[in-house]
Amino acid sequence: VPIRSGVQMDESALIRAAQAGDHAAFEQLVTAYDQSVLRLAMNLLRSPEDARDVYQEAFLRVFRNLHNFRFDCSFHTWLYRIVTNLCLDQMRKRKVRKEEPSILNTPEGLLDRMDSVPEERVDGDPQRYLFSGQVRIRIKEVLGQLTPRERMVFELRHYQGLRLRRIGEILGTTEEAAKNCLFRATQKMRTGLGEFI
Amino acid sequence: MSTGHDEMNCIAAREQFAMLLYGELSFDEEEQVEAHLDGCAECRAVLSQEKAVSASFDAFEIQPPPSLLRSCREELHARLMDEEATPAVTHGSWWAQFTDMLTRRPAWAVLRPMGALTLVALGFLGARLMPGAFFWTGGGRGDLQSMGLVEPQASRVRYVEPGSDGRVQIVLDETRQRVVSGRLDDLKIRALLMTAAKDPSDPGLRAETVDILNTRAQSADVRDLLIYEMKNDKKAGVRLKAMEGLKAFAQEGAVRAALSQVLLTDANPGLRTQAIDLLTGGTNTSGDRQMVSTLQELMQRGEQQDYVRERCRQVLEAMNASAETY
Repeated sequence: VPIRSGVQMDESALIRAAQAGDHAAFEQLVTAYDQSVLRLAMNLLRSPEDARDVYQEAFLRVFRNLHNFRFDCSFHTWLYRIVTNLCLDQMRKRKVRKEEPSILNTPEGLLDRMDSVPEERVDGDPQRYLFSGQVRIRIKEVLGQLTPRERMVFELRHYQGLRLRRIGEILGTTEEAAKNCLFRATQKMRTGLGEFI
Repeated sequence: MSTGHDEMNCIAAREQFAMLLYGELSFDEEEQVEAHLDGCAECRAVLSQEKAVSASFDAFEIQPPPSLLRSCREELHARLMDEEATPAVTHGSWWAQFTDMLTRRPAWAVLRPMGALTLVALGFLGARLMPGAFFWTGGGRGDLQSMGLVEPQASRVRYVEPGSDGRVQIVLDETRQRVVSGRLDDLKIRALLMTAAKDPSDPGLRAETVDILNTRAQSADVRDLLIYEMKNDKKAGVRLKAMEGLKAFAQEGAVRAALSQVLLTDANPGLRTQAIDLLTGGTNTSGDRQMVSTLQELMQRGEQQDYVRERCRQVLEAMNASAETY
Protein backbone atom coordinates (compact mmCIF):
# COMPACT_ATOMS: atom_id res chain seq x y z
CA VAL A 1 0.00 0.00 0.00
CA PRO A 2 1.48 3.37 -0.95
CA ILE A 3 2.72 5.60 1.83
CA ARG A 4 1.83 9.26 1.93
CA SER A 5 3.25 11.79 4.31
CA GLY A 6 4.15 9.06 6.72
CA VAL A 7 0.57 7.87 6.86
CA GLN A 8 -0.48 4.68 5.16
CA MET A 9 -3.15 5.60 2.69
CA ASP A 10 -5.76 3.23 1.44
CA GLU A 11 -5.34 2.75 -2.29
CA SER A 12 -8.91 3.68 -3.08
CA ALA A 13 -8.44 6.93 -1.14
CA LEU A 14 -5.31 7.56 -3.15
CA ILE A 15 -7.19 6.96 -6.39
CA ARG A 16 -10.01 9.28 -5.34
CA ALA A 17 -7.50 11.95 -4.41
CA ALA A 18 -5.81 11.56 -7.80
CA GLN A 19 -9.20 11.72 -9.50
CA ALA A 20 -9.78 14.99 -7.70
CA GLY A 21 -6.58 16.37 -9.19
CA ASP A 22 -4.08 15.59 -6.44
CA HIS A 23 -0.80 15.25 -8.32
CA ALA A 24 1.10 13.86 -5.37
CA ALA A 25 -1.49 11.11 -5.02
CA PHE A 26 -1.21 10.26 -8.68
CA GLU A 27 2.56 10.07 -8.54
CA GLN A 28 2.31 7.77 -5.53
CA LEU A 29 0.06 5.50 -7.54
CA VAL A 30 2.65 5.53 -10.30
CA THR A 31 5.54 4.69 -8.03
CA ALA A 32 3.53 1.92 -6.39
CA TYR A 33 3.26 0.08 -9.70
CA ASP A 34 5.75 1.43 -12.17
CA GLN A 35 8.59 -0.93 -11.36
CA SER A 36 6.52 -3.97 -12.17
CA VAL A 37 5.12 -2.26 -15.27
CA LEU A 38 8.61 -1.48 -16.52
CA ARG A 39 9.81 -4.99 -15.70
CA LEU A 40 6.92 -6.52 -17.60
CA ALA A 41 7.50 -4.33 -20.64
CA MET A 42 11.25 -4.85 -20.55
CA ASN A 43 10.98 -8.62 -20.37
CA LEU A 44 8.35 -8.86 -23.06
CA LEU A 45 9.83 -6.35 -25.48
CA ARG A 46 13.52 -6.70 -24.57
CA SER A 47 14.20 -3.15 -25.57
CA PRO A 48 14.67 -0.35 -23.05
CA GLU A 49 13.44 2.13 -25.60
CA ASP A 50 10.23 0.24 -26.30
CA ALA A 51 9.75 -0.44 -22.60
CA ARG A 52 10.12 3.28 -21.95
CA ASP A 53 7.51 4.05 -24.61
CA VAL A 54 5.07 1.59 -23.07
CA TYR A 55 5.71 3.03 -19.62
CA GLN A 56 5.03 6.59 -20.76
CA GLU A 57 2.00 5.75 -22.84
CA ALA A 58 0.47 3.55 -20.16
CA PHE A 59 0.71 6.08 -17.37
CA LEU A 60 -0.37 8.96 -19.58
CA ARG A 61 -3.48 6.97 -20.48
CA VAL A 62 -4.08 6.29 -16.82
CA PHE A 63 -3.75 9.99 -16.12
CA ARG A 64 -6.12 10.95 -18.90
CA ASN A 65 -8.73 8.35 -18.04
CA LEU A 66 -8.52 8.06 -14.28
CA HIS A 67 -11.73 10.04 -13.97
CA ASN A 68 -13.46 7.14 -15.75
CA PHE A 69 -12.19 4.56 -13.28
CA ARG A 70 -15.23 3.36 -11.34
CA PHE A 71 -13.67 0.73 -9.05
CA ASP A 72 -15.35 -2.07 -11.03
CA CYS A 73 -12.04 -3.90 -10.80
CA SER A 74 -8.83 -3.34 -8.91
CA PHE A 75 -6.60 -0.49 -10.01
CA HIS A 76 -3.86 -3.04 -10.67
CA THR A 77 -6.10 -4.96 -13.08
CA TRP A 78 -7.16 -1.76 -14.82
CA LEU A 79 -3.56 -0.57 -15.17
CA TYR A 80 -2.37 -3.95 -16.40
CA ARG A 81 -5.12 -4.04 -19.03
CA ILE A 82 -3.63 -0.90 -20.47
CA VAL A 83 -0.06 -2.12 -20.21
CA THR A 84 -0.71 -5.59 -21.63
CA ASN A 85 -2.63 -4.14 -24.56
CA LEU A 86 0.27 -1.84 -25.38
CA CYS A 87 2.78 -4.68 -25.06
CA LEU A 88 0.69 -7.12 -27.11
CA ASP A 89 0.38 -4.51 -29.81
CA GLN A 90 4.15 -4.07 -29.91
CA MET A 91 4.78 -7.80 -29.86
CA ARG A 92 2.38 -8.44 -32.72
CA LYS A 93 4.09 -5.82 -34.78
CA ARG A 94 7.41 -7.42 -34.04
CA LYS A 95 6.30 -10.95 -34.70
CA VAL A 96 7.61 -10.64 -38.22
CA ARG A 97 11.04 -10.94 -36.70
CA LYS A 98 12.16 -14.51 -36.43
CA GLU A 99 14.41 -14.04 -33.49
CA GLU A 100 14.63 -11.52 -30.71
CA PRO A 101 18.01 -10.24 -29.64
CA SER A 102 19.23 -11.41 -26.30
CA ILE A 103 21.62 -8.47 -26.14
CA LEU A 104 19.93 -5.46 -24.63
CA ASN A 105 21.18 -1.93 -24.93
CA THR A 106 20.43 -0.55 -21.48
CA PRO A 107 21.40 2.72 -19.89
CA GLU A 108 23.95 0.70 -17.91
CA GLY A 109 25.49 -0.52 -21.13
CA LEU A 110 25.02 -3.70 -23.10
CA LEU A 111 23.32 -6.43 -21.15
CA ASP A 112 22.99 -10.01 -22.30
CA ARG A 113 19.99 -11.42 -20.54
CA MET A 114 21.46 -14.85 -21.08
CA ASP A 115 24.25 -13.84 -18.73
CA SER A 116 21.76 -14.07 -15.92
CA VAL A 117 21.24 -17.75 -16.63
CA PRO A 118 23.66 -19.61 -14.40
CA GLU A 119 26.41 -21.71 -15.86
CA GLU A 120 26.75 -25.39 -15.10
CA ARG A 121 26.50 -26.14 -11.45
CA VAL A 122 29.57 -27.53 -9.82
CA ASP A 123 27.83 -29.60 -7.20
CA GLY A 124 27.50 -32.66 -9.39
CA ASP A 125 23.75 -32.25 -9.63
CA PRO A 126 22.47 -34.60 -12.36
CA GLN A 127 20.40 -31.73 -13.82
CA ARG A 128 23.38 -29.52 -14.38
CA TYR A 129 23.27 -30.08 -18.15
CA LEU A 130 20.04 -28.11 -18.13
CA PHE A 131 22.07 -25.02 -17.56
CA SER A 132 24.47 -25.58 -20.39
CA GLY A 133 24.95 -23.13 -23.19
CA GLN A 134 22.74 -25.19 -25.46
CA VAL A 135 19.83 -24.87 -23.10
CA ARG A 136 20.35 -21.13 -22.85
CA ILE A 137 20.16 -20.80 -26.59
CA ARG A 138 17.16 -23.08 -26.73
CA ILE A 139 15.28 -21.11 -24.08
CA LYS A 140 15.67 -18.00 -26.17
CA GLU A 141 14.37 -19.81 -29.24
CA VAL A 142 11.45 -21.35 -27.42
CA LEU A 143 10.33 -18.06 -25.91
CA GLY A 144 10.53 -16.55 -29.37
CA GLN A 145 8.25 -19.25 -30.72
CA LEU A 146 5.38 -18.50 -28.37
CA THR A 147 2.51 -16.43 -29.68
CA PRO A 148 2.21 -12.96 -28.15
CA ARG A 149 -0.71 -14.12 -26.01
CA GLU A 150 1.09 -17.24 -24.84
CA ARG A 151 4.15 -15.20 -24.09
CA MET A 152 2.06 -12.68 -22.20
CA VAL A 153 0.30 -15.28 -20.07
CA PHE A 154 3.60 -17.03 -19.36
CA GLU A 155 5.24 -13.74 -18.41
CA LEU A 156 2.38 -12.72 -16.13
CA ARG A 157 2.24 -16.13 -14.42
CA HIS A 158 5.86 -17.12 -14.29
CA TYR A 159 7.64 -13.82 -13.74
CA GLN A 160 4.98 -11.52 -12.34
CA GLY A 161 3.47 -14.29 -10.23
CA LEU A 162 -0.15 -13.42 -11.00
CA ARG A 163 -2.85 -16.02 -10.57
CA LEU A 164 -4.64 -17.24 -13.67
CA ARG A 165 -7.91 -15.74 -12.45
CA ARG A 166 -6.31 -12.30 -12.35
CA ILE A 167 -4.59 -12.86 -15.69
CA GLY A 168 -7.97 -13.69 -17.21
CA GLU A 169 -9.41 -10.45 -15.84
CA ILE A 170 -6.52 -8.44 -17.22
CA LEU A 171 -6.68 -9.98 -20.66
CA GLY A 172 -10.45 -9.85 -20.82
CA THR A 173 -10.92 -13.59 -20.87
CA THR A 174 -11.79 -16.43 -18.52
CA GLU A 175 -9.53 -18.14 -16.05
CA GLU A 176 -9.99 -21.32 -18.08
CA ALA A 177 -8.87 -19.64 -21.30
CA ALA A 178 -5.83 -18.22 -19.54
CA LYS A 179 -5.08 -21.67 -18.20
CA ASN A 180 -5.32 -23.18 -21.67
CA CYS A 181 -3.00 -20.50 -22.97
CA LEU A 182 -0.45 -21.19 -20.23
CA PHE A 183 -0.81 -24.90 -20.88
CA ARG A 184 -0.03 -24.41 -24.57
CA ALA A 185 2.95 -22.25 -23.68
CA THR A 186 4.38 -24.81 -21.28
CA GLN A 187 3.73 -27.63 -23.75
CA LYS A 188 5.65 -25.74 -26.42
CA MET A 189 8.47 -25.16 -24.01
CA ARG A 190 8.53 -28.76 -22.96
CA THR A 191 8.59 -29.82 -26.61
CA GLY A 192 11.22 -27.24 -27.45
CA LEU A 193 13.43 -28.34 -24.61
CA GLY A 194 12.53 -31.99 -25.06
CA GLU A 195 16.03 -33.17 -25.84
CA PHE A 196 17.26 -31.70 -22.57
CA ILE A 197 14.55 -33.19 -20.39
CA MET B 1 7.24 -46.88 -17.05
CA SER B 2 6.46 -47.97 -13.55
CA THR B 3 4.52 -51.13 -12.95
CA GLY B 4 1.02 -50.64 -11.72
CA HIS B 5 0.51 -47.47 -13.78
CA ASP B 6 -0.71 -47.61 -17.33
CA GLU B 7 0.72 -45.30 -20.00
CA MET B 8 -2.33 -43.04 -20.00
CA ASN B 9 -2.00 -42.34 -16.32
CA CYS B 10 1.61 -41.26 -16.72
CA ILE B 11 0.83 -39.08 -19.75
CA ALA B 12 -2.15 -37.52 -18.03
CA ALA B 13 -0.15 -36.89 -14.89
CA ARG B 14 2.74 -35.31 -16.78
CA GLU B 15 0.41 -32.99 -18.63
CA GLN B 16 -0.56 -31.56 -15.28
CA PHE B 17 2.97 -30.99 -14.04
CA ALA B 18 3.25 -27.41 -15.26
CA MET B 19 -0.01 -26.41 -13.59
CA LEU B 20 1.02 -28.34 -10.50
CA LEU B 21 4.22 -26.32 -10.28
CA TYR B 22 2.27 -23.10 -10.72
CA GLY B 23 -0.22 -24.16 -8.04
CA GLU B 24 -3.06 -23.81 -10.50
CA LEU B 25 -4.65 -27.24 -10.10
CA SER B 26 -7.89 -27.73 -8.25
CA PHE B 27 -7.80 -29.70 -5.03
CA ASP B 28 -9.07 -32.86 -6.76
CA GLU B 29 -6.69 -32.54 -9.70
CA GLU B 30 -3.74 -32.09 -7.38
CA GLU B 31 -4.80 -35.10 -5.35
CA GLN B 32 -4.91 -37.29 -8.46
CA VAL B 33 -1.48 -36.19 -9.63
CA GLU B 34 0.08 -36.66 -6.22
CA ALA B 35 -1.51 -40.08 -5.84
CA HIS B 36 0.05 -41.04 -9.14
CA LEU B 37 3.43 -39.63 -8.16
CA ASP B 38 3.43 -41.68 -4.96
CA GLY B 39 3.59 -44.86 -6.97
CA CYS B 40 5.56 -43.77 -10.04
CA ALA B 41 9.28 -43.15 -9.71
CA GLU B 42 9.61 -42.25 -13.39
CA CYS B 43 7.07 -39.47 -13.13
CA ARG B 44 8.76 -38.18 -9.99
CA ALA B 45 11.98 -37.97 -11.98
CA VAL B 46 10.21 -36.18 -14.82
CA LEU B 47 8.66 -33.75 -12.36
CA SER B 48 12.07 -33.09 -10.91
CA GLN B 49 13.37 -32.28 -14.40
CA GLU B 50 10.43 -29.99 -15.04
CA LYS B 51 11.27 -28.12 -11.89
CA ALA B 52 14.81 -27.68 -13.16
CA VAL B 53 13.54 -26.38 -16.50
CA SER B 54 11.22 -23.98 -14.69
CA ALA B 55 14.14 -22.79 -12.58
CA SER B 56 16.17 -22.16 -15.71
CA PHE B 57 13.41 -19.84 -16.92
CA ASP B 58 13.49 -18.06 -13.56
CA ALA B 59 17.03 -17.05 -14.24
CA PHE B 60 16.10 -15.74 -17.67
CA GLU B 61 14.26 -12.77 -16.21
CA ILE B 62 15.87 -9.36 -16.37
CA GLN B 63 15.42 -6.50 -13.98
CA PRO B 64 15.25 -3.03 -15.53
CA PRO B 65 18.29 -0.95 -14.58
CA PRO B 66 17.54 1.63 -11.87
CA SER B 67 18.64 4.44 -14.17
CA LEU B 68 16.00 3.43 -16.72
CA LEU B 69 13.29 3.57 -14.09
CA ARG B 70 14.58 6.91 -12.90
CA SER B 71 14.64 8.45 -16.35
CA CYS B 72 11.17 7.04 -17.08
CA ARG B 73 9.86 8.74 -13.95
CA GLU B 74 11.53 12.02 -14.84
CA GLU B 75 10.10 11.97 -18.32
CA LEU B 76 6.65 11.04 -17.09
CA HIS B 77 6.74 13.81 -14.53
CA ALA B 78 7.58 16.34 -17.23
CA ARG B 79 4.88 15.03 -19.53
CA LEU B 80 2.29 15.11 -16.76
CA MET B 81 3.14 18.70 -16.01
CA ASP B 82 2.75 19.46 -19.65
CA GLU B 83 -0.47 17.49 -19.87
CA GLU B 84 -1.89 19.40 -16.95
CA ALA B 85 -1.11 22.66 -18.66
CA THR B 86 -2.94 21.50 -21.76
CA PRO B 87 -6.58 21.07 -20.77
CA ALA B 88 -7.71 20.79 -24.38
CA VAL B 89 -6.54 17.22 -24.58
CA THR B 90 -7.54 16.03 -21.15
CA HIS B 91 -10.49 14.97 -19.11
CA GLY B 92 -13.55 13.85 -20.85
CA SER B 93 -14.27 16.28 -23.61
CA TRP B 94 -15.53 14.88 -26.90
CA TRP B 95 -12.17 15.84 -28.29
CA ALA B 96 -10.29 13.94 -25.59
CA GLN B 97 -12.55 10.95 -26.10
CA PHE B 98 -11.96 11.06 -29.82
CA THR B 99 -8.18 11.25 -29.55
CA ASP B 100 -8.21 8.68 -26.79
CA MET B 101 -10.22 6.35 -29.00
CA LEU B 102 -7.53 6.69 -31.61
CA THR B 103 -4.81 5.79 -29.17
CA ARG B 104 -6.55 3.26 -26.94
CA ARG B 105 -7.29 0.54 -29.43
CA PRO B 106 -4.56 -2.05 -29.96
CA ALA B 107 -4.52 -1.21 -33.66
CA TRP B 108 -3.89 2.47 -32.99
CA ALA B 109 -0.83 2.56 -35.15
CA VAL B 110 -2.88 1.42 -38.12
CA LEU B 111 -5.67 3.84 -37.34
CA ARG B 112 -3.47 6.85 -36.86
CA PRO B 113 -3.21 7.84 -40.54
CA MET B 114 -6.99 7.52 -40.82
CA GLY B 115 -7.27 9.63 -37.73
CA ALA B 116 -5.00 12.20 -39.25
CA LEU B 117 -7.25 12.53 -42.26
CA THR B 118 -10.31 12.69 -40.06
CA LEU B 119 -8.84 15.39 -37.91
CA VAL B 120 -8.36 17.52 -40.97
CA ALA B 121 -11.87 16.75 -42.16
CA LEU B 122 -13.27 17.91 -38.85
CA GLY B 123 -12.16 21.35 -39.78
CA PHE B 124 -10.72 22.39 -36.51
CA LEU B 125 -7.81 23.87 -38.33
CA GLY B 126 -10.08 25.95 -40.47
CA ALA B 127 -11.56 27.45 -37.36
CA ARG B 128 -8.19 28.81 -36.39
CA LEU B 129 -6.55 29.60 -39.63
CA MET B 130 -9.18 31.06 -41.84
CA PRO B 131 -10.79 33.90 -39.97
CA GLY B 132 -13.46 35.91 -41.67
CA ALA B 133 -14.88 39.25 -40.63
CA PHE B 134 -18.00 41.15 -41.47
CA PHE B 135 -19.65 44.36 -40.48
CA TRP B 136 -22.88 44.02 -38.66
CA THR B 137 -25.20 46.93 -39.18
CA GLY B 138 -28.48 45.52 -37.95
CA GLY B 139 -30.46 47.12 -35.16
CA GLY B 140 -31.79 44.24 -33.03
CA ARG B 141 -31.95 44.31 -29.24
CA GLY B 142 -30.31 42.19 -26.59
CA ASP B 143 -26.81 40.90 -26.16
CA LEU B 144 -24.80 39.11 -28.80
CA GLN B 145 -25.60 35.64 -27.61
CA SER B 146 -29.29 36.21 -27.23
CA MET B 147 -29.24 37.41 -30.81
CA GLY B 148 -27.69 34.10 -31.74
CA LEU B 149 -24.87 35.89 -33.42
CA VAL B 150 -21.84 34.34 -31.90
CA GLU B 151 -20.23 31.80 -29.71
CA PRO B 152 -18.12 33.72 -27.23
CA GLN B 153 -14.91 31.97 -28.28
CA ALA B 154 -15.58 32.27 -32.00
CA SER B 155 -16.05 36.01 -32.18
CA ARG B 156 -14.82 39.16 -30.56
CA VAL B 157 -15.56 42.83 -30.79
CA ARG B 158 -12.83 44.58 -32.72
CA TYR B 159 -14.07 48.13 -32.05
CA VAL B 160 -17.20 50.14 -31.45
CA GLU B 161 -18.21 53.40 -33.01
CA PRO B 162 -20.96 55.67 -31.66
CA GLY B 163 -23.45 56.94 -34.21
CA SER B 164 -25.15 60.33 -34.29
CA ASP B 165 -28.66 58.94 -33.66
CA GLY B 166 -27.85 57.14 -30.43
CA ARG B 167 -27.09 53.92 -32.18
CA VAL B 168 -23.71 52.23 -32.13
CA GLN B 169 -21.79 50.38 -34.78
CA ILE B 170 -19.84 47.35 -33.64
CA VAL B 171 -17.20 45.63 -35.69
CA LEU B 172 -16.77 41.93 -34.91
CA ASP B 173 -13.90 39.66 -35.72
CA GLU B 174 -15.61 36.35 -36.21
CA THR B 175 -14.17 32.93 -36.79
CA ARG B 176 -16.14 30.58 -38.94
CA GLN B 177 -15.50 26.87 -39.02
CA ARG B 178 -14.82 25.39 -42.38
CA VAL B 179 -14.20 21.78 -43.26
CA VAL B 180 -11.00 21.14 -45.12
CA SER B 181 -10.32 17.59 -46.10
CA GLY B 182 -7.42 15.98 -47.88
CA ARG B 183 -4.54 13.61 -47.68
CA LEU B 184 -1.34 14.33 -45.85
CA ASP B 185 0.68 14.43 -49.05
CA ASP B 186 -1.54 17.23 -50.38
CA LEU B 187 0.68 20.32 -50.19
CA LYS B 188 -2.19 22.59 -49.13
CA ILE B 189 -3.17 20.28 -46.32
CA ARG B 190 0.41 19.99 -45.27
CA ALA B 191 0.82 23.77 -45.31
CA LEU B 192 -2.17 24.06 -42.97
CA LEU B 193 -0.69 21.48 -40.68
CA MET B 194 2.68 23.22 -40.70
CA THR B 195 0.98 26.44 -39.66
CA ALA B 196 -1.05 24.69 -36.97
CA ALA B 197 2.11 23.11 -35.59
CA LYS B 198 3.33 26.61 -34.72
CA ASP B 199 0.05 27.99 -33.40
CA PRO B 200 1.23 29.71 -30.23
CA SER B 201 -2.22 29.79 -28.66
CA ASP B 202 -2.92 26.09 -28.42
CA PRO B 203 -0.28 23.56 -27.28
CA GLY B 204 -2.81 20.75 -27.60
CA LEU B 205 -3.29 21.56 -31.26
CA ARG B 206 0.46 21.73 -31.76
CA ALA B 207 0.96 18.36 -30.07
CA GLU B 208 -1.70 16.63 -32.15
CA THR B 209 -0.44 18.23 -35.35
CA VAL B 210 3.15 17.25 -34.69
CA ASP B 211 1.93 13.72 -33.99
CA ILE B 212 0.29 13.65 -37.40
CA LEU B 213 3.30 15.16 -39.16
CA ASN B 214 5.56 12.56 -37.53
CA THR B 215 4.15 10.06 -40.01
CA ARG B 216 5.65 12.15 -42.82
CA ALA B 217 9.06 12.82 -41.30
CA GLN B 218 10.72 11.40 -44.39
CA SER B 219 9.91 14.70 -46.11
CA ALA B 220 12.64 17.29 -45.63
CA ASP B 221 10.20 20.16 -45.03
CA VAL B 222 8.37 18.20 -42.33
CA ARG B 223 11.67 17.20 -40.78
CA ASP B 224 12.75 20.85 -40.67
CA LEU B 225 9.54 21.72 -38.89
CA LEU B 226 10.01 18.89 -36.39
CA ILE B 227 13.53 20.09 -35.71
CA TYR B 228 12.19 23.60 -35.13
CA GLU B 229 9.50 22.29 -32.77
CA MET B 230 11.92 20.05 -30.90
CA LYS B 231 14.22 23.00 -30.29
CA ASN B 232 11.75 25.81 -29.76
CA ASP B 233 8.30 24.74 -28.64
CA LYS B 234 7.45 26.06 -25.20
CA LYS B 235 5.82 22.79 -24.16
CA ALA B 236 8.00 19.81 -23.35
CA GLY B 237 5.27 17.44 -24.51
CA VAL B 238 5.31 18.96 -27.99
CA ARG B 239 9.10 18.91 -28.07
CA LEU B 240 9.04 15.25 -27.09
CA LYS B 241 6.56 14.40 -29.81
CA ALA B 242 8.72 16.17 -32.38
CA MET B 243 11.71 14.21 -31.15
CA GLU B 244 9.77 10.97 -31.58
CA GLY B 245 9.24 11.82 -35.22
CA LEU B 246 12.95 12.44 -35.68
CA LYS B 247 14.12 9.21 -34.05
CA ALA B 248 14.48 7.41 -37.35
CA PHE B 249 16.66 10.22 -38.67
CA ALA B 250 18.99 10.51 -35.69
CA GLN B 251 22.01 9.85 -37.89
CA GLU B 252 21.39 12.88 -40.10
CA GLY B 253 23.58 15.91 -39.55
CA ALA B 254 20.86 18.49 -39.03
CA VAL B 255 18.97 16.23 -36.64
CA ARG B 256 22.11 15.42 -34.70
CA ALA B 257 22.96 19.11 -34.40
CA ALA B 258 19.47 19.77 -33.06
CA LEU B 259 19.71 16.86 -30.64
CA SER B 260 23.05 18.21 -29.41
CA GLN B 261 21.43 21.57 -28.80
CA VAL B 262 18.59 19.94 -26.88
CA LEU B 263 21.08 17.98 -24.82
CA LEU B 264 23.03 21.12 -24.01
CA THR B 265 20.22 23.58 -23.43
CA ASP B 266 16.84 21.94 -22.81
CA ALA B 267 15.59 22.14 -19.24
CA ASN B 268 13.52 18.97 -19.46
CA PRO B 269 15.32 15.86 -18.12
CA GLY B 270 13.18 13.46 -20.17
CA LEU B 271 14.08 15.21 -23.39
CA ARG B 272 17.74 15.29 -22.53
CA THR B 273 17.69 11.59 -21.68
CA GLN B 274 16.13 10.77 -25.01
CA ALA B 275 18.50 13.11 -26.82
CA ILE B 276 21.60 11.45 -25.45
CA ASP B 277 20.20 8.00 -26.19
CA LEU B 278 19.53 9.00 -29.78
CA LEU B 279 22.89 10.67 -30.19
CA THR B 280 24.86 7.78 -28.77
CA GLY B 281 22.65 4.87 -29.73
CA GLY B 282 23.53 4.65 -33.40
CA THR B 283 26.12 2.46 -35.01
CA ASN B 284 27.90 5.25 -36.82
CA THR B 285 28.93 7.53 -34.01
CA SER B 286 32.61 6.71 -33.75
CA GLY B 287 33.71 9.63 -35.91
CA ASP B 288 31.18 12.13 -34.67
CA ARG B 289 33.37 14.96 -33.44
CA GLN B 290 30.44 17.21 -32.72
CA MET B 291 28.93 14.60 -30.44
CA VAL B 292 32.23 14.10 -28.64
CA SER B 293 32.60 17.83 -28.06
CA THR B 294 29.00 18.03 -26.86
CA LEU B 295 29.55 15.22 -24.39
CA GLN B 296 32.82 16.72 -23.24
CA GLU B 297 31.16 20.07 -22.75
CA LEU B 298 28.52 18.46 -20.60
CA MET B 299 31.16 16.78 -18.47
CA GLN B 300 33.17 19.95 -18.22
CA ARG B 301 30.32 21.98 -16.88
CA GLY B 302 29.44 19.32 -14.32
CA GLU B 303 26.35 17.65 -15.69
CA GLN B 304 23.75 17.34 -12.93
CA GLN B 305 21.55 14.64 -14.39
CA ASP B 306 22.95 11.26 -13.23
CA TYR B 307 21.89 9.29 -16.24
CA VAL B 308 23.20 11.82 -18.75
CA ARG B 309 26.50 12.13 -16.91
CA GLU B 310 26.98 8.37 -16.73
CA ARG B 311 26.06 7.92 -20.36
CA CYS B 312 28.52 10.63 -21.37
CA ARG B 313 31.24 8.93 -19.43
CA GLN B 314 30.49 5.52 -20.96
CA VAL B 315 30.46 6.81 -24.51
CA LEU B 316 33.57 8.91 -24.14
CA GLU B 317 35.40 5.97 -22.59
CA ALA B 318 34.24 3.68 -25.37
CA MET B 319 35.59 6.16 -27.90
CA ASN B 320 38.83 6.63 -25.98
CA ALA B 321 37.96 10.30 -25.65
CA SER B 322 38.79 12.20 -22.54
CA ALA B 323 36.03 13.30 -20.24
CA GLU B 324 38.22 16.03 -18.81
CA THR B 325 40.46 17.51 -21.50
CA TYR B 326 39.35 19.40 -24.54
